[in-house]
Amino acid sequence: MTLEILDPTHEGDTSGFALASRLSALEGATVGIISNGKRNTIPFFDAFEDEMKRTYGVAEVVRRIKSNYSAPADKYIVKEAENWDAVVAGIGD
Amino acid sequence: MTLSSKRYEVDDILAAQEFYHSRQWTDGLPVVPPTANAVQACLDWAMMPADHLVGIEPVRNRAITAEKLAINAIMAGCLPMHFPVVIAAFTAMLQEPFLVHGATASTGGCAVLVVINGPVREEVGMSSSFNVLGSSDRATTVIGRAIRLILCNLLDVRPGQIDRSTLGHPGKLSYCIAEDEDNSPWNSLAEDQGVPHEASAVTVMAAGAPRQLMNEWTTKPEEILDTFCAEIKANLRHYSIYPGNYAIVIPPQLRTHFDEAGWGRKEIQQYVFENARILRREWADVGKGAVVGRRGDQEYPALPDPEHLLIIAAGGPAGGFGAVIPPWLGHKSKAVTVAIGACLDCEPPAN
Repeated sequence: MTLEILDPTHEGDTSGFALASRLSALEGATVGIISNGKRNTIPFFDAFEDEMKRTYGVAEVVRRIKSNYSAPADKYIVKEAENWDAVVAGIGD
Repeated sequence: MTLSSKRYEVDDILAAQEFYHSRQWTDGLPVVPPTANAVQACLDWAMMPADHLVGIEPVRNRAITAEKLAINAIMAGCLPMHFPVVIAAFTAMLQEPFLVHGATASTGGCAVLVVINGPVREEVGMSSSFNVLGSSDRATTVIGRAIRLILCNLLDVRPGQIDRSTLGHPGKLSYCIAEDEDNSPWNSLAEDQGVPHEASAVTVMAAGAPRQLMNEWTTKPEEILDTFCAEIKANLRHYSIYPGNYAIVIPPQLRTHFDEAGWGRKEIQQYVFENARILRREWADVGKGAVVGRRGDQEYPALPDPEHLLIIAAGGPAGGFGAVIPPWLGHKSKAVTVAIGACLDCEPPAN
């Protein structure tokens, strides 16, 4: 005699999330970096910002730090990100 | 049957184990196969329709339904009478101050401590005595396990996926205790959080592993609490300097000394608030001198205020032991208490 059992996982995508469209090039773009604010993000993102500008021609890098590194980005940062061409969500420990 | 979850057919109970293990739908231990009848019995006991929305995980917008909680509760070994406690615990975890995503995803590796109060403890056969922090009875063990399976299966909090814990701790398998209200001279933890005496309730806390201590050589409350404070200060020095909820577990032998001295929750909270604090420069004593900076004389209390100390009466009758349960990361997550069977978002009656 067989046994019928149920799926314990989340089924179906109710989140409504979708990937943003990809950039064809970084040259001239405004790129945001949302940092979790831990100490080691500072030198890492300094170097990252420099590399994006120097090697890829990024026009502007906007750096923002979350108020709580374990929580989603603050609403004002998410709102501001609407004006950026790309966002890097970065963590550092 | 109104259950909407996908169904699978397997040969027998052993095949069911391998089916779930192979999909990473377990915690590594055997599970009870969640059949439709078993799941429906849980929903019937809680008087909830299968599609009842228990809450929404705020970061990924995931709807948490009663049916999915019941499936995981059955897998953990819950009986229908345990299910309302599971619902209340997860409802509490979905409240914003608990910060469920951060707490369960963090490298910090905490587990969800669930503390049960009220008549439900006796109704479902919970024990608050011997081995209370080490799976003292069936009910607390399976309820705590259900929380972990729900996190794994509904929010993908599996090791290496959403769960990024560097170490974690054994409480992740099950971290649920009932308070020893009957032998305690104090109001219950839930009453301290505003829940009426007659109601049953759960309190959830994003918690590190318990740090056990012992002081059998005094009856003075101050000296007993100095031992608790020393353990809290060790956590401030070794782990995290941020203030937040700390829980302390006080078994009967030590409770007797507090009671005889006329000390209740308020006196204990006040003493710990005043004495569990360190100076930032103490970090240099434990190899963290690099982050002391110019703020060496700055004082860091373990508690933002006395009420952040959760006092839990529990443990076996003999022994001058106690335990400190530290927070995941200070104030980032706050302990939340919810009455079992209460609807948090219900409208009051129109008239």
